[in-house]
Amino acid sequence: MRTRKLRYAAALGGCVLGTVLVLGAQQAAAHKDPVDAQTLKMIEDQFTEQVIIGDKLFHGDGDEQKRLGVTLSKTGMACAMCHPFTADTHPHEFPKFQVQMSEFAALRDMINWCIEKPNEGVKIDPNSPAMKALEAYIYWSNTGSKLDPGRF
Amino acid sequence: MKKQTQRQGSRDPDSGRDGVRSGTACITRRTFLHKSLVAGAAVAGGSALNFFETFTAIDVANAAESFSFAWVSDTHLYPKTLNTRFVEKATRAFGEVQAMGSKFDFMIFGGDLAQLGDPVELQLGAELLKEVKVKKYFIPGEHDWYLDMGAQWNKMFGASPWKFDHKGVRLIGLNTVGYAPDYWSAKKLTPKERMGAMSALDGSMAGPWSGLGHDQLQWLQTALSDWDKSKPVIVFSHTPLYEYYPPWNFWVRDWREAQEILQPFKNVTNFHGHVHQPVYNEMGNMRFFAQLATSWPWPYPPQGVPALTKAMIRVDPGDPFDGVGWGQLGIASDRTDQQYKMWRKEVFATNEWDSGAGDNGNQVLRPRIADRVWPY
Repeated sequence: MRTRKLRYAAALGGCVLGTVLVLGAQQAAAHKDPVDAQTLKMIEDQFTEQVIIGDKLFHGDGDEQKRLGVTLSKTGMACAMCHPFTADTHPHEFPKFQVQMSEFAALRDMINWCIEKPNEGVKIDPNSPAMKALEAYIYWSNTGSKLDPGRF
Repeated sequence: MKKQTQRQGSRDPDSGRDGVRSGTACITRRTFLHKSLVAGAAVAGGSALNFFETFTAIDVANAAESFSFAWVSDTHLYPKTLNTRFVEKATRAFGEVQAMGSKFDFMIFGGDLAQLGDPVELQLGAELLKEVKVKKYFIPGEHDWYLDMGAQWNKMFGASPWKFDHKGVRLIGLNTVGYAPDYWSAKKLTPKERMGAMSALDGSMAGPWSGLGHDQLQWLQTALSDWDKSKPVIVFSHTPLYEYYPPWNFWVRDWREAQEILQPFKNVTNFHGHVHQPVYNEMGNMRFFAQLATSWPWPYPPQGVPALTKAMIRVDPGDPFDGVGWGQLGIASDRTDQQYKMWRKEVFATNEWDSGAGDNGNQVLRPRIADRVWPY
């Protein structure tokens, strides 16, 4: 009886291990496969989708905020009202010591500061989809800006 | 941000670009006065009202008698239930104008009283404006207009363009916002959607909405037809009468036609709002003074500022009263004074790293993407 149980356990373990190995190998192979045009488009579309969501959030789109469960402003102000075309957001200068915050800050810290202070909104989770979309839009909009971290 | 090394406003024969003229800016006595006085920065005198005066003086006027007037614009009022900060700042500006009221012959309200053209916002503005007892003249901003195409604005504050003569100066108020190409009918936008598309400065849907239009240009021609070419002309407009930064409608699209009409006059000064920042420019016989907003300051455009502009200092976005205010304008026999009543001590940067136009050297920006997607 005990031997049979051990056999079942060994077989089950083998199945699990096999599945892990097969899936892992597929993942590794997929990562190492040359990227075809279709996959490339998928990757680019994923990015563009996030940029568009970020653009909408940045411009105060109420539906997008509701969908993502965030309140970026309670004053009617939107990010773009002080930062048209994301001007003066300077993502290429972060991280840096941010005077208003009196601390060394990443871009997402500054985004949250703006949400909380001028916009009187509710700070968002730094790892949330809304934060990632806002960052995607700001970085995309500053494509071509020269990296200059730490600049005042 | 790059400082433009060329003066804006005409076609460059070399590059073919509109709005930029090749060559070094000519240093005239006017220019020298402007630059030296602007560099002089803060001048005491307004401390009792808790603001600091900064003078920009240009010898452009030839008024028979000297006079002063106040400019307030870009209050961008929301309903009081949503936003009290803008109400507080507008109230402060109107209160300060009234406190100095005996000094002013009149006040110009330069547009964008409301944020979304809502009658509640316009009514709130009208209530706050009652504080100012001197004669008031109004020109509209795009935020006042596109919910009902100016119906409520015209009813409450009067139609534009208008003109009147005052102490030897012809003063003209233009409507630079009411003649946008129709961007709403084909898309079947509701009035709210039409206003919403207009309300984003960096939106592309409303296109080059700022302009005078054929009829108003004709009106301008007629309005000046009986005026002596050697006498001063002052033109008030919400948007600037030259090409500063078209993607944010920091221009009127038919500025060439407007300038052609104004060109024969010896002294022409354009005071304008919309840009929410100190900017100065000259083109031939014309000079242009941008005025502050009471609501919030815009950043300088990514392409930079006209060569004659001394940029304002970087402001603290955590202080709602920073970088904003109103303007006092003085017209005398030999000069025009611009005083920025900004609610902070230093208005202009003395160090490059403190300049609102100097900290963007590595910044390259793209126009937005979401409003390129057909949403309707």
